[in-house]
Amino acid sequence: MEQKILLKKDIGKLYNELSKEFKFYAPINEKGYITFRKIENPDNIVLDYLNSKIPPKDVLFPEKDILFEYRYEGKEVIIEEPKNLDEKKIIFGIRPCDAYSFELFANFFSFHGNCKDEIYLTKKENTVLIGIGCNSPRQTCFCTSVGGHPFKKENVDIFLVDLGNKYLVESISERGEAIVKSLSWLGKANDEDKQKAEELSKKAEEMITTQIDPDKIDKILDENFQHPIWSEISESCISCGTCAYLCPTCTCFDVIDENDAYHNRGRRIRIWDTCQSCLYTMETSGHNPRGSKIERCRNRIMHKFSYYPKNYDLTGCVGCGRCVLYCPANNDLRYILKEIEQIES
Amino acid sequence: MGIEEENQKIEKSIRDIARDLLKNKEVDVIIGYTEGTVPLSTSPIIIRDEKDVDKLVWNNFCYINLAKYLAPRMPQLVDPEKGELKVGIVTKGCVGRALIQLAIEKQINLDNVKIIGIPCNGIVNRRRIEKEIGEKEILEVSVSEDNIIVKGKNFEESFPFSEYINELCKQCKIKSPPKVDSCVGECGEYESVFDEFNDVKEFESKTPDEKWEYINDLLSTCTRCYACREACPMCYCNLCFVDQNKPIWFGKTTDQTEILMFHLIRAMHMAGRCVACGACSSVCPVGIDLNLITRKLEQMVKERYNFTSGIDIDKFPPMMDFEMEDEQEFMLEED
Repeated sequence: MEQKILLKKDIGKLYNELSKEFKFYAPINEKGYITFRKIENPDNIVLDYLNSKIPPKDVLFPEKDILFEYRYEGKEVIIEEPKNLDEKKIIFGIRPCDAYSFELFANFFSFHGNCKDEIYLTKKENTVLIGIGCNSPRQTCFCTSVGGHPFKKENVDIFLVDLGNKYLVESISERGEAIVKSLSWLGKANDEDKQKAEELSKKAEEMITTQIDPDKIDKILDENFQHPIWSEISESCISCGTCAYLCPTCTCFDVIDENDAYHNRGRRIRIWDTCQSCLYTMETSGHNPRGSKIERCRNRIMHKFSYYPKNYDLTGCVGCGRCVLYCPANNDLRYILKEIEQIES
Repeated sequence: MGIEEENQKIEKSIRDIARDLLKNKEVDVIIGYTEGTVPLSTSPIIIRDEKDVDKLVWNNFCYINLAKYLAPRMPQLVDPEKGELKVGIVTKGCVGRALIQLAIEKQINLDNVKIIGIPCNGIVNRRRIEKEIGEKEILEVSVSEDNIIVKGKNFEESFPFSEYINELCKQCKIKSPPKVDSCVGECGEYESVFDEFNDVKEFESKTPDEKWEYINDLLSTCTRCYACREACPMCYCNLCFVDQNKPIWFGKTTDQTEILMFHLIRAMHMAGRCVACGACSSVCPVGIDLNLITRKLEQMVKERYNFTSGIDIDKFPPMMDFEMEDEQEFMLEED
């Protein structure tokens, strides 16, 4: 497909055009960290960033997702489905690892088409991803080991490469191409630009030093559900759940009902949950199969590196390194995986 | 003596004491800190064998309040046959206060705990450094002389230590634990603590509307992950009020009113109990600094009851105790 050039100074222009049709989400600096928010003023967009501290998963999977609302009218119950699910969105500036996490999310929310979560899937279908290649992965990143790459293009509609004062623009999907075509003012890319993008991709790949072997880990996990390692790796954990809340692939949620008896109405809401919480999988009887942090830490590793691969033939981690970097107890996932790799079968 | 040198001395003493405690079988395990794998971090570690004591470190990135591992006791510290293991714990001032406060509240038995006291020289404000460095990758951080040196690819920046430690550490009057079994250097005794609460003065000068706005803005980004609660050594309830669902007392969503309810009620539970370790703020994934709220409560408890949490094992905190002459201005007189 033909490649184009977008000058960085034209980001405002791009926003002005695309925000007519789409709700435009992009990274901003909120109170000292980078997160994705709906943009009202393009001057707030931050594009010179390593990766957002908060992954953009909340754009489609918010901390509070209303599944339906209801009200009583006399004896009748009126159910109101959520509105505007098909509202058109653009997530601009998403990194390849986070874009890939949206695919893993979609797998979970469709379960091979057998059990579709229309709320998530409708939102995803109507969201265009404009990704930017990751020129400088962090030391904590390991996307290349888990099916990703700092310049992976497959999961976005339009892929950009940061060339300094401009972006190389490549449309990946059909709807991406339609958008690029509509921006007739985009410049033409020359061979030098394309070559530079290739070099940046190679350089970024070389910057990733952590290598893990998910297939080997999956096999080892199968045989070591009971192993002293689970007690060891959970020792320093304080069960704060930061790993899950900052994880782009953590999908777990809790469903609650809020009944407003005074106004004869209520709502059912999906909120984020984490397997590190003591209430996670707590049964009505009071029994919890994951009763201590040992089982809960094991679940986190098992889910991403054993259960998810079995269900979807992919690793349930995109290697973004957020849990590594931000764990307050420095319970480093890279080291946990290395230790698991060393378990002898 | 520079901070770096001071740290090395403390670290060596911690290892010596830990080695002796393990060798003499006075404790089964030592809980301390070990070198982190990413800059600006350390990781809590359990040492079982005296040959491993050199893994213990002390530096200005020891964020976690280690008392957290004792209440409730984590399973790794309980032997199926012997029961509670005897634990030696590397204890800076706020960890020591937490241990005493937990003992007062009958959550831990200090007979099974050996307090290795250290005079803490302050913990680096990771958030502030990260915020000021911005979107550049930090690769190495060290404390040298009186500066925090932050290095990355193509940059090196220096921050004055005394300015870039946690706000709580700047105000801290209890740097070493109030009760110790062994002490590295000098550990002070605290009968009464004088604190001017300079850090809450600016907040106090605000009007009620401004305070309300400040608190609302502060908490607006909360995701209700409860990391603050989980890291807090004084939050040990089996089931937090906000998790109860028979009946549901409070909403669980991120609606602003629900966020406020959670934090303000949790703060109330901290009155006279918070040990000002700052764990809640240092673990928050979105960087909310709850310390102003807890410090204000600490000040109120100090002014009204002349009570400072975690220094006197024989004194109940005001919310657990009463005296006949307590002020009761909230009681309405009968006409």
